[in-house]
Amino acid sequence: MRVAFVGKGGAGKSSLAGTFARLLARTGQRVLALDSDPMPGLAFSLGVGVTDAGLPDDAVEEYEERGRRRYRLRAGLTGPEAVDRYAVRGPDGVHFLQLGKARGPRWNNSRQHFGFQGVLDDLPGDGWSIVGDLPGGTRQPFMTWGRYARTFLVVVEPSTASVLSGRRLARLAEGSRRPRVLAVANKVREPDDGELIAAGTGLEVVGAVPMDRALADADRLGLPVVDAEPDAPAVAAVRSLVNALREREVSS
Amino acid sequence: MKIAVVGKGGSGKTTTSAVLARTFARHGHETLALDCDTNPNLGISLGLGEEATERLVTVRDAVDAGEEDHAVSPDDLVERFGAPAPDGVRLAVVSAIQNPEPGCP
Repeated sequence: MRVAFVGKGGAGKSSLAGTFARLLARTGQRVLALDSDPMPGLAFSLGVGVTDAGLPDDAVEEYEERGRRRYRLRAGLTGPEAVDRYAVRGPDGVHFLQLGKARGPRWNNSRQHFGFQGVLDDLPGDGWSIVGDLPGGTRQPFMTWGRYARTFLVVVEPSTASVLSGRRLARLAEGSRRPRVLAVANKVREPDDGELIAAGTGLEVVGAVPMDRALADADRLGLPVVDAEPDAPAVAAVRSLVNALREREVSS
Repeated sequence: MKIAVVGKGGSGKTTTSAVLARTFARHGHETLALDCDTNPNLGISLGLGEEATERLVTVRDAVDAGEEDHAVSPDDLVERFGAPAPDGVRLAVVSAIQNPEPGCP
């Protein structure tokens, strides 16, 4: 399965994506977790212990096209090889690769950007599941950072701004190559929050994760909630989400 | 006084900005609130309502579609693309992206 988590900043994309990747790996899938958010997050919820796991500079080469400087994976380096060589191994066998984090105000990240996109266009296929954590907001997730995904999970909390962002994302998806877009309700407190999110975004809600103190506590300590509080209700809800998506994979 | 509010997603930038803007306005300052987020929600926190907040984005769409001229000056931008918010705050959306072209990172 190839899924990408999108949604408003702070909706819980990284927390859910990391938990999702770990629980998916426990079902026997080989999982590659991709972090294309320049803000840290996924490393903590996965528990990989490294917060800057981008491609090294020498994995990317510079070339010229019509007088313009461009970047691509260095000659002979395929996406699957880049994953094999540079992805960090985390708990449950999850592989973790990052766009790379901002390294100061004058850091030119073109090299990392295009190298990472080279990997996105040539991801390992058979037997691999891909779980992506995308930058927050509505800045074209469908055509760039999430272009490999067959399913987009829009993480939405029951707030006006989050629902509005979900609706904007649903609208943007219509304009692209029409991927499958589903909502995941997060930080759910009231029985009708799921309905509110479905009505407000126009999306089918495929999972609902309750407001859970365990998740906030794990975030506070920078620990994966699956390790810190394996029996937390939020973890159970993400496990149901994994199962729901696996069933859809089988039926489609 | 010019203040920019920055931080990680979900940390409370929009809420902080809105409370600052309305507090300054209540103290008698002429206040302009600029939403520079590509996913602009400041209107909601200021109390403009969902419909008016979305309409601001739509005005920006019209400019992109060539149906309206671009702003010729900052004052013009605030005048034509801004909206009045409670306590006399003026809100303008600067950088909403609705139909991005592929390739622009």
